[in-house]
Amino acid sequence: MEKTAATAIPVLAARDVSKRFGNVIALQHIDFELYPGEIVAVIGDNGAGKSTLIKILAGTLAPDSGTLLMRGKPVSFASPRDARAAGIETVYQDLALAPDLDVPANLFLGRELRRPGLLGLLDVLDVPAMRARAAAHLDALGVKIKSVDQSVDTLSGGQRQSVAVSRSVFWGRDVVIMDEPTAALSVAQSALVLNLIKRVRDAGTPVVLISHNLPQVFEAADRMIVLRHGSRVGTLDPKVATMEEAVSLMTGALTAPAAGS
Amino acid sequence: MSQIVSGAPAAQSRPARPRLSWEVALRLGLLLIVIALAIVFTLTAPGFLSPQNLENNERQMAVIGILAIGETFVIITAGIDLSVGSMLGFSGILMALALSHGIAIPLALGAVLVIATLLGLFNGLLIDTAALPPFIVTLGMLGILRGFTQIFGNGQQIGFGNSAFTDFAADNFLGIPQLFWMLVIIALLAAYLLHLTRRGRHVFAIGSNLEGARRAGINVRGVTLFVYAISGLLAGIAGLLLTARQAQGDPNAGTGYELDAIAAAVLGGASLFGARGSILGTFLGVLLVQILTNGLNLLNFDPQVARIVEGALLIAFVYMDHWRKRRLATA
Repeated sequence: MEKTAATAIPVLAARDVSKRFGNVIALQHIDFELYPGEIVAVIGDNGAGKSTLIKILAGTLAPDSGTLLMRGKPVSFASPRDARAAGIETVYQDLALAPDLDVPANLFLGRELRRPGLLGLLDVLDVPAMRARAAAHLDALGVKIKSVDQSVDTLSGGQRQSVAVSRSVFWGRDVVIMDEPTAALSVAQSALVLNLIKRVRDAGTPVVLISHNLPQVFEAADRMIVLRHGSRVGTLDPKVATMEEAVSLMTGALTAPAAGS
Repeated sequence: MSQIVSGAPAAQSRPARPRLSWEVALRLGLLLIVIALAIVFTLTAPGFLSPQNLENNERQMAVIGILAIGETFVIITAGIDLSVGSMLGFSGILMALALSHGIAIPLALGAVLVIATLLGLFNGLLIDTAALPPFIVTLGMLGILRGFTQIFGNGQQIGFGNSAFTDFAADNFLGIPQLFWMLVIIALLAAYLLHLTRRGRHVFAIGSNLEGARRAGINVRGVTLFVYAISGLLAGIAGLLLTARQAQGDPNAGTGYELDAIAAAVLGGASLFGARGSILGTFLGVLLVQILTNGLNLLNFDPQVARIVEGALLIAFVYMDHWRKRRLATA
């Protein structure tokens, strides 16, 4: 999967998107693009517009103006369900897992497999198939869990988040949005999840990463989009840019857009 | 790729055993208590093992058991249905009235069950759509239905003299009361619905994380309506069976049965916090409640002693469940 940003069509893009809440301008004339095979991070201080942008991409909010494009074609999402149907999965920081259920039950939550034939008509679950597919999927992503038969509440925080991330990739073939995926995790557990996010990218699903944690963003992202006061103030390449540059862009100490990719 | 991660998952993962052992221990413990009680009463209570007494127990257990099975569906969604006892009484009085007016059994039976199911649906609708607490909705329904039952029955027993209907409750099949067979059939159907189907999985899912289930695309309203409708329907069936057994409509029938139904489900491992419970467990819970009530009765204890023990057990089990939940949360 070669990343030739010049020729590639963004998998997901926003053009000239604005959103206001009463008198508060949350986003003004924002462009956003996610290319195949990359992790793009959206960074910014509190109130910069990160979560508004993400909610628009995930279908939770509708923009006041501007368009969303998937592979160059305009799309509009009336609900998160629409976005999901279009291939965009979102992992929220407050986990949407069912803690009392086991790992396969969570991966297939709401999309459970039925047995073929008559039993399927009787709505009977295909537990062995779900278990096997869940185990294979986690294996392929390198998520290590002692047994998939564990209920999720017996897993560590990082493992739980890994299950949530794995679930999103399981269904979201096109785009995965991760909203502060490491916010509640220890350093070791965060590393586990960040590594998984990279493997998700390597397996072909581009990722939008929202995080407060700049060192983690520098570690994981291929590109960083910097927001400030609802505007996009720059794009940084984490391999070239320094943490200081990022911070000064975020806080407004530096106004000139830094070099992109 | 970075190597920071290797080893972290293994180090952090706790063994898979705790949950399983808890569930198995609970079920086994319950079975042991049931067996121990049965042995104690066999040795101490005169006539405990007499065929007459066993059949009585089986008939009584059928009524409570069917109620408790419906309650189990509701409790697994982290809800509660306090209206089952009144629903039972209401259905019973409707059936007695219908039969006493000469309405054919199949018609009366069908109409009563449709009404009970619709009332259960109404509970679910208020809980889901109006977002009212299940406790309040079904407590209100407990009062409403009992009031109507008393008015319809005019505060008196209603005889109907339909032997075909009462015979069903009196007769045995293969030496076991037909009422008990009804419990067995309903338990098997319920176990299939709850433990084998997609719909049943969703019952557990919304009890575990309502918002998460919604986000995962589960039809939360459909599942909520489903469990309260099941509870209403089963309470209706229990009402018909009790009416057949007593050969009359009793406006006080089912009073306080919500305690039996909830206690049986909770003793059987259902968690009021949701996402835990099983039909087998509830069946064992009913068995426990029934043996306890009957044994104490035969030993000439005041009938209220059984209720005291039942209430105390209910509180103790919920406390233990609360403790389990808290330990998991802080672990």
